[in-house]
Amino acid sequence: MADFLSGYSIQNWLESCPQGYLEGTVYGHKPGEQEIELLKTNPVLHEDAIRTTVQLVVGERAALAASSGLINSAPDEASKRFLATQTLDEARHVEIFTQRLYDLGVRKEDLESTIARFANPNLVKFAGVLLEKVDKKDFVAGVVGQNIVLEGMAFSVFEMMYALNEPMNPKFAQTLSGTIADERRHVGFGENRIGSLLKEHPERKPDIEKMQKDMSYFMLATFADAFGETRAVDELERIGQERSHAQFHGADLGAMDPKEMEDLLAATVLKEFKTRLGRLGLQYQTPARP
Amino acid sequence: MSSALDVDEGEPAAGSPAANDPKGERQRFVLDDTGFDEVPKKYRRFYRKWKGAGDRLAANEVICPVCKVVIRSSRTLLPGDRVYCMPCMSRLVVARNEATGDLEALVAY
Repeated sequence: MADFLSGYSIQNWLESCPQGYLEGTVYGHKPGEQEIELLKTNPVLHEDAIRTTVQLVVGERAALAASSGLINSAPDEASKRFLATQTLDEARHVEIFTQRLYDLGVRKEDLESTIARFANPNLVKFAGVLLEKVDKKDFVAGVVGQNIVLEGMAFSVFEMMYALNEPMNPKFAQTLSGTIADERRHVGFGENRIGSLLKEHPERKPDIEKMQKDMSYFMLATFADAFGETRAVDELERIGQERSHAQFHGADLGAMDPKEMEDLLAATVLKEFKTRLGRLGLQYQTPARP
Repeated sequence: MSSALDVDEGEPAAGSPAANDPKGERQRFVLDDTGFDEVPKKYRRFYRKWKGAGDRLAANEVICPVCKVVIRSSRTLLPGDRVYCMPCMSRLVVARNEATGDLEALVAY
């Protein structure tokens, strides 16, 4: 039984989400807010913003496929209802990040080709490991992969992106803030549901630990590609645009080069994985460094 | 809503700070609205966002280890109290970290 869900209901979700932090928003932000002009007019920053947003769409499409796919393999009614609201959360994320691509000037007829052009192959492989478990109707592995590994990664990635955008891009920062609020519920479901299920099925631990190792490898490879490809820091310096000195886990992001930011994000996510999995009695498996 | 939510009205839930303080000896705190809007209105004053480096927890506060939201009680928190993190649905037990001496919350699955 998912006892921790006894207080959860669609009504609770309505009062927290659409009638809470999303009230009055349009595609996750205040009506009338625009992307900052520099992102639209500077070709390097423009492509960088599109590339970054494509990864968010790819990740959220995987989350949508996973959460909807897990509904029918959930062993109890409360989990099915929770996953129904998570499915709508993920569909909303796909929509708001797709809308950001449109706001950045991507034409609707070019959406899929833009995603195909910029989607990181390692992120696609990361999603593939998860969706394989979902396709096999493996609820325990699916929830660990989706709500602990994928959502745990998204939680830290979105927090770093929020810190970077809050001082200069309120539209995108608010979009991210609403997404982070959704992720709280998702990681909470993951930990609490799996915490009880693993007590019933301790024999599943080695298989799940291997999945975490595989997914972590592709996640680190995605980070390495993303921070290795970005030209934003160099371009901001070239045009004399001062970077915002946003704080993330005690570090000044405005004073870091992309490699240092990659290392900080990877260390933050892996530390969180280790802590979360440890609470569940799972042994964190260190992936190879790509 | 939850067996361990520290609401002021009604019978205190078993294990909650209110239930663990039957004589009313603990310091009471007035919980103001901090703008936290991720739970239904009735419960919003029981939570706030962690502001990162430089933020400090009061004697009636503890961080949820699952979602990093600060949980606020209307009474001083002590080890053994049960609290509920509504934003991520985690049931938590307050404990003393022996290394730091600070209060922390442990997840009760």
